[in-house]
Amino acid sequence: MKFIGIVGTNAKKSYNRMLLQYMQKHFESKAEIEILELTDVPMFNESKDQSNSDIIQEFNTKIEAADGVIIATPEHNHSIPAALKSIIEWLSFNLHPLDGKPVMIVGASYNVQGSSRAQLHLRQILDAPGVNANVMPGYEFLLGKVQEAFDEDGNIKSARTVDFLETCFNRFMKFSDIIAQLNLPEDITYQPGTFKVTAVGHNGDLPMSVTLSDDRIESIDIDTSSETKGIADVAFKRVPQQIIDGQTLNVDVVSGASITSNGVIDGVAQAVKMAGADPEILKKRKKSAGPNKQNVIEYQTDVVVVGAGGAGLTAAAKTIQDGKKAIVVEKFPSPGGNTVRAGGPMNAADPAWQNEFPAISGEKHTLKEIMDTDESTIDSEYLEDFRALKGQIAEYLKENDDKKAYLFDSKLLHRIQTYLGGKRTDLKGNTIYGQYDLVKELTDHALESVNWLKDIGVKFDETQVTMPVGALWRRGHKPLGNQGFAYIENLTKYVKEHDGKIITDTAVKQLIIEDGNVKGVIARSSDGKKVIVHAGAVVLASGGFGANTKMLKQYNTYWSDIDDNIKTTNSPAITGDGIRLGQSAGADLVGMGFSQMMPVSDPNTGEIFTGLQVPPQNFVIINQQGKRFVNEYASRDALTQAAIDNGNLFYLLADDEIKKTAYNTSQAQIDKQVENGTLYRADTIEDLAKQLKMDPAVLEDTVKKYNSYVDNGDDPEFHKNAFDLKVKVAPFYATPRKPAIHHTMGGLKIDTDAHVINKDGQIIHGLYAAGEVAGGIHAGNRLGGNSLSDIFTFGRIAADSALKEM
Amino acid sequence: MKIVGIVGTNSVESTNRELLKYMKQYYADTAEIEICEIEDIPVFNEPEDKTAPSAVQTLSDKILQADGIIFATPEYDHSIPAVLKNAIEWLSYTTRPLINKPVMIVGASHGSLGTSRAQSHLRQILEAPELKALVMPNAEFLLGRSLEAFDDDGMLVYPNKVKELDHEFNEFVSFVKLTNKLTVNNEFFDASKQFSWKQVANGEDI
Repeated sequence: MKFIGIVGTNAKKSYNRMLLQYMQKHFESKAEIEILELTDVPMFNESKDQSNSDIIQEFNTKIEAADGVIIATPEHNHSIPAALKSIIEWLSFNLHPLDGKPVMIVGASYNVQGSSRAQLHLRQILDAPGVNANVMPGYEFLLGKVQEAFDEDGNIKSARTVDFLETCFNRFMKFSDIIAQLNLPEDITYQPGTFKVTAVGHNGDLPMSVTLSDDRIESIDIDTSSETKGIADVAFKRVPQQIIDGQTLNVDVVSGASITSNGVIDGVAQAVKMAGADPEILKKRKKSAGPNKQNVIEYQTDVVVVGAGGAGLTAAAKTIQDGKKAIVVEKFPSPGGNTVRAGGPMNAADPAWQNEFPAISGEKHTLKEIMDTDESTIDSEYLEDFRALKGQIAEYLKENDDKKAYLFDSKLLHRIQTYLGGKRTDLKGNTIYGQYDLVKELTDHALESVNWLKDIGVKFDETQVTMPVGALWRRGHKPLGNQGFAYIENLTKYVKEHDGKIITDTAVKQLIIEDGNVKGVIARSSDGKKVIVHAGAVVLASGGFGANTKMLKQYNTYWSDIDDNIKTTNSPAITGDGIRLGQSAGADLVGMGFSQMMPVSDPNTGEIFTGLQVPPQNFVIINQQGKRFVNEYASRDALTQAAIDNGNLFYLLADDEIKKTAYNTSQAQIDKQVENGTLYRADTIEDLAKQLKMDPAVLEDTVKKYNSYVDNGDDPEFHKNAFDLKVKVAPFYATPRKPAIHHTMGGLKIDTDAHVINKDGQIIHGLYAAGEVAGGIHAGNRLGGNSLSDIFTFGRIAADSALKEM
Repeated sequence: MKIVGIVGTNSVESTNRELLKYMKQYYADTAEIEICEIEDIPVFNEPEDKTAPSAVQTLSDKILQADGIIFATPEYDHSIPAVLKNAIEWLSYTTRPLINKPVMIVGASHGSLGTSRAQSHLRQILEAPELKALVMPNAEFLLGRSLEAFDDDGMLVYPNKVKELDHEFNEFVSFVKLTNKLTVNNEFFDASKQFSWKQVANGEDI
C-alpha cells in the first residue's frame, strides 16, 4: 500500500514531522509512506485560484494516486494550524482529491492533550461536503508530552505507545481496503427515453427535457426563451455540460447562480428517477474532469462471446471459419478460463480407433452390468436407445466370447453412460437426469469436435485411449502438450491470427437488448473504461459459479451443507456472471441445486495436487478425531457427503512406504509443505496424533484395525474394496483435505441449437450459451472428460446457430 | 465606543465584508466600527524570533485600542477559513492583543446554515489559553442566503434579520461596557501574556 503523510505544520521544527518520519521508517515493510510538507503551500484565496500551481497539483496528484492519507496535526489555539487548513481548502475548492479517500489522523503536542481538540476539529473539517474524506473512526492516536517521547534516533521510546500506533496503523490498512471497495464505481441503468421535467429560472419554472439511453445521460435541453439574459445563462450551459461530460450530478454550482444551477441538477435527478434509476449514484460520482471520450470504447462485430475459456474461443473460432467477425470479452487478464485447469482428455466415441486397442480387465464386466440393468429404471425417452445399446453389447460379447476382446465403444454407450452417470436425486426428493435431445446432440457430435480441433491445430496422442477420472469408460482423446492448455493455446492462436479480437481484463456487465433481441454487450475494463460491443448475436460462455459461494449456497439442494469457506478447483473468475446476464434477458434456469465436489482438495487453496496423492488402494481416510469414517473407494459424491458429515476437514494418512506411491510430488516439495504446515509428518503415530490434536489412543487403534484389515483382505467396518500397503513404516504423514467445488451442474436452459430459452419456453433471440454456463446436459453429475466434449461441441453449435439466424 | 470589525476572509467578493459594512453604516450612531482586512498577513510558520510582521502589528495595535472586536467569518469546510486562523495564530504567537477583549461573532453564508459550524469552532479557538478573548456568551448571528441579503445600498433586506442583529448588537454594546468595568489589570492578565504550552509541558508554574 502507498500512503501520503501530511505534516500538519510549516514550522521548521515539528514533532509531528518526527512522528510521520518514525511511522515511515517503522512501517516500511507494510506500506510506503511519502511525506508531503506544507512549507510552499500558499494561503488559500478563492479570488486568486492557484489550483494549477505546481505545489497544489503535487498534493492533488499524489493524493489521488495514494491508497490513503495520514495527517499529523499539531494543535494551535484549540484547532488545527492555518497552514493545514489552507491546503485542505485548496483541495476542496476546484480539486477534490480527498473525496472518498481513507484518512488517518495522528497528532503530537507538548502537553498531555496530544492535539485532542485539533483532531476533533480536523475530523469535522474532513467531513465537510467539499472535502468528503473517509476518516477512520476511533483509534485516536494522541502523542502527548512529545518532547520526551522520542529517543536520539527518532524512535518512540514507550513500547506501549508503539504497540498502540501499530494497532492503529494495521486498522488503517484494513480500513483503506474496505473504503477502496466502497469507492468502486456503481453502475446505473436507465429506462431509455426523453423525460420532461422543469428547471428553476428567475422568472419561474423553465421546461427542460432530459434524454437518457440505457446507461448514459445523452442530452439536456432547457427552454430559456422566457428567461431574461444574464448570469443564469452560464448555469444553463455549464451545468448541463458538466453533467453530460462526467455522467455525474456531482457538479459545481455556478457562483452567483446557485438557485438556477441547483434547479438544473434537481431537474436531471428527477428525470433519472423517472427512468427508474437512483440519482444518488450520480451524486456520489466524481466531478467531471472535462470531456473525455476515450473512456468509452465501442466495437461492431458479428458475434460477441462472453468468456475466453474453451467454449468461448471455440464459438469465436467457428464464427471466423465461417467468414464472420468475432470478439471475445474476458474478465481475466488472459484467456483460458477453467479449460486450462482440465486434465486434458476429452470423451468421444470413436469405435474405429478404439477397436484397435485390446480390452482390459473389468470392461466386459461393466458392459454386462449395463445389460443387466432393470429396464424399469430407465427413463422412457432413453429406453429405445438403451435397448439398441443392449443389442450392440450382446453382439460384441458374442463376437468376443472366446478370444481376447478389443475395446468396445459406441455413441449409444457414451449417451447412456452420460445419462446414467448424471442421474441424481437431491435432498428434496427431486430427481434429475440429462435432457435427452441435448445428450444426444453431445454424444452424436463429440467426435466431430475432436476432428474440428485437429483442423484448428490441436494434436492428439493417438497411441493410447485414456480414461479421465470419473469417466466410466475409456474414450478419452488426449491432446499432446500441456493438458488443457493445449486446447487454449491453439484456439487463441487461431482466433488472433484470423483477425478475431480477444479483449481481456474486461468484465461484461450488461446485455444490450433491443426489441427483445440481444444485440451486444456493455462491459467495464479493470481500468474503468466502458467497452460497448454491438453485435448480431451474443454467446454466453462464461462458465459456472463454482467460485461464488454465496450463489452456491443460495441454490444448493443437493448437499446437506456448503461450508462458508469452501474452496474451488476452478478458476476464481467463475462466479456465475453469464447466468446473471442470461437472467437479465429472462432466461430460465435448470438444475441449479446440483453441484459436483472434489472431495480430496487442499483446504486452503482448493487445489488437488498438493500433499500426498496416492492410488485409492493406499488411501486411509480419517476424520478430525482420528477415526476412519468411509469406504475410501466410494464415489466422489459419497466421499464428499461423508466429509461434510464429519465437519469437512479430514486427513489422508500415509506411512513412508505409501508415500513412495504418491504420483504428484517430490521429496523437496514434501519437506517444504511440512515446513509450511500444510502437510504433517511425525516419527510415531502418537506424535502425529498430537500434531493433529487427536487422542493418540484413538489414532493408534484406527491404524491397528486398518492394518489387520489389510492382512485379512477384508474391511468389516466400511468395506473398502481393495488394499495394498499397511501403515507401519515411520515417518508417518497426514495430508489435510476438504471437499471443494469442482463443477456447477445447473445453468441457463438451452436447446439443441444452443439458444437460451426463457421462462415461457421461447428462444431469446440473439442469445446463445455453451459450456458450464448452461445446464441440463450433465444433469446432476458430469462424467470426467465430458465437459471438454460439451464445450467444443456446443461452442461450435452456438456459433453455427448465431450465424444462420443473423 | 470603538470597535474593530475583522473580515474573516481574503476573498474579493465577500458577504461577510458586506455585513460588516452594513453594521458600520447602520450602527454609526452607537459605535465607530473600523473594518480590518487580513489578506496581507503572511503565512504563519512559527518563526523563532516571535516578532510580529508589520501587518500583524498594525492589526494588533488596532485591536488593543478598541473596546470590542467583531469577527465576521465565512465557513470553509465546516470551520473558519485558513486565512482567519492564520491571523489568529500570529496574534496568539506574538502580541496577544485579544486577552480579555470583548468579542462578538457573526457570519454570513450563501447557503441557509449561516456559518453555524465555523462560529462554534471560532468560539473554541478564541478560548484557547494563548488568546483568552471574552466571547459574548448566548449570542450568535447567522446570516444564511447572504447573496440575496443586501440591496444596492448595502442595506440588509431581511426584516427579521435586521431586528435580530439590532438585538444582538445592543447586547454586545452592553457586554463591552460591562467587561470594561471588570478589572482588566487583574493578576491573571500578565500571566496570560506569558502563557506557553512549553511551560505547561515542563511543569512550570503559570
